[in-house]
Amino acid sequence: MPSGRHKSRTLRKVFVKTPGGKTKIHYKKKKPAKAICASCRKPLAGVARERPKKMKNMAKTKKRPERAFGGVLCSACSRKELKKKARSI
Amino acid sequence: MAVIEVGRVCLKIAGRDSNKRCVIVDVLNNNYVLIDGETRRKKCNVKHIEPTSKVIKISKGASHAEVVREFKKLGIEIKEKVKKEKKPEKSLQKQTKKEEKKEEKKKEKEEKKLEDAKKVGKV
Repeated sequence: MPSGRHKSRTLRKVFVKTPGGKTKIHYKKKKPAKAICASCRKPLAGVARERPKKMKNMAKTKKRPERAFGGVLCSACSRKELKKKARSI
Repeated sequence: MAVIEVGRVCLKIAGRDSNKRCVIVDVLNNNYVLIDGETRRKKCNVKHIEPTSKVIKISKGASHAEVVREFKKLGIEIKEKVKKEKKPEKSLQKQTKKEEKKEEKKKEKEEKKLEDAKKVGKV
């Protein structure tokens, strides 16, 4: 019977086969949801998915692409936005 | 429709230099174009730039200095990127400090051994 702390919903179960042939349960912390684009709500590329503590001391370039609207809009939507801007200049 | 030609001011819409104004310096073929200005001077696919209504007078294959001058007339300042000199000495200094600490510890240990050896010798 799993102990109390393993029943919490932030942990997900991973079934691991040991060399002796038995299967064991490893408990892993769940990752936050994928970052989504602000306009077309598709998952963003180039944005890391880690728990906040790990994200904190991660390199800045790992957390978002180095592009205009990086980490906010996906590449297609950012192109649309910039086209509008170019046409207004 | 704005025509892709030499001197046409465009906005880069994709890539690392996106949202930066550039000017077409040379048309290589119907797909590729040489751009300069706020963006780096590089070959660029026509799909990755969006022409604007402005055109400036520059010669074909103009130098970076000429482009900077023309952009100033448009009121666009181009900041020259100063390359930071790499400082290798910094990392070396750290190592030397660590090594010094290690040596000190070694000396202390040796001294202790000597003292213990003397005590043992006397007793």
